[in-house]
Amino acid sequence: MATEAQLILTSDVSGDPTNVDTGLIPLYKAGNENELDQTTGLGRVHLRSTTNKVLFAANAEGNDLAAKVYIINKSDDASLYVTVTINAQTIGKLYGGDFMFIPWSQTDTSANIEVAATNWTSSTGDIPVEYALFHEDTDYLTNA
Amino acid sequence: MATTAQLNLTSDITDDSLNVTTGAKPLYLAGGTTDVNTLTSVTKTLESTNQVDLITTGSVSTTHAYVYIKNKSEDASEFFHITIGSAGAGSPTDTEEIGRLYAGDFMWFPWDVNDDVCITPSVATKMTVEYMVFS
Repeated sequence: MATEAQLILTSDVSGDPTNVDTGLIPLYKAGNENELDQTTGLGRVHLRSTTNKVLFAANAEGNDLAAKVYIINKSDDASLYVTVTINAQTIGKLYGGDFMFIPWSQTDTSANIEVAATNWTSSTGDIPVEYALFHEDTDYLTNA
Repeated sequence: MATTAQLNLTSDITDDSLNVTTGAKPLYLAGGTTDVNTLTSVTKTLESTNQVDLITTGSVSTTHAYVYIKNKSEDASEFFHITIGSAGAGSPTDTEEIGRLYAGDFMWFPWDVNDDVCITPSVATKMTVEYMVFS
C-alpha cells in the first residue's frame, strides 16, 4: 500500500520565476517509514450553513499518530469561501477553487476539523467541498 | 503576474485506487480574481526545541495568504509541531496544534493572518524548515 502527495507551485511574482515541485512524497506513519494504511476515501458535502460543522471528529488516541487531511472548495465562485477551524482556532479561508493539505494532530477530542460556509446565503447556492483523510489510528471510526 | 498551486494525491489503500489532481489552481487575493503579488521564501535551521514564531502576522499585509511549509529532515523520527496562535516566549499555552510535520512532509493551507504560525522542533540537533508565503 502506498499513498503519495505532490505539490507543484509556480509563480512569477518575483523577477525570476519560482517553481517548487515536492515530487511524490510518501505518507508515512508517525516516526517511521511504514505507509499509512487507512483512509476515509474521497467525500463530498454541499455546505449551506454559516455555522461550523464537524468535517473530521478528533479522536484523542490519534494524538501521537500521523494523519493527513485534504480539503478543497469546489465552488466556481471566487468570492464564496469556507472557513476551516481546529478547536475553534481559525486556520484560514478556502475561496472557490482553493485547497489545503495538512497534517492533523488530534491533540484531544476538541481538535475537530470544522468547516463553515461563512458567507453563504440562500441566493449564493451551496458550496461543494471535497475532502479526504489518510491516517493510521485504528480507533478513529469509533469516535466519529 | 500569476501564481498557481497543484496537488496530486495517489493512494492504493483501498482496493480501488484513489487518484486526485486539483489541476493548477490560480492563487488570488481574498474574494476576487486578482493574482497574489507578494512572495516570501525562507529556509531556517532551528537548534532548540523551543516553540518559536515562524511566520508572524506582521510579516503579511493582507488578511488572506497561502502558506507552504516543508520539513527538510531525512530522519523519519524527526518532526515539527506546527501550531497557530501566539508563541509567547516559548510557551505553547495559547496555541492550537494543527499537526506534526514529519521528515520530508509538506503542508499547504490558506492562512487568515489573525495569529502567528508557530513551530516546535522535536529535537535540538539542527532541524531545517523551508517555508513560503504568498499574499
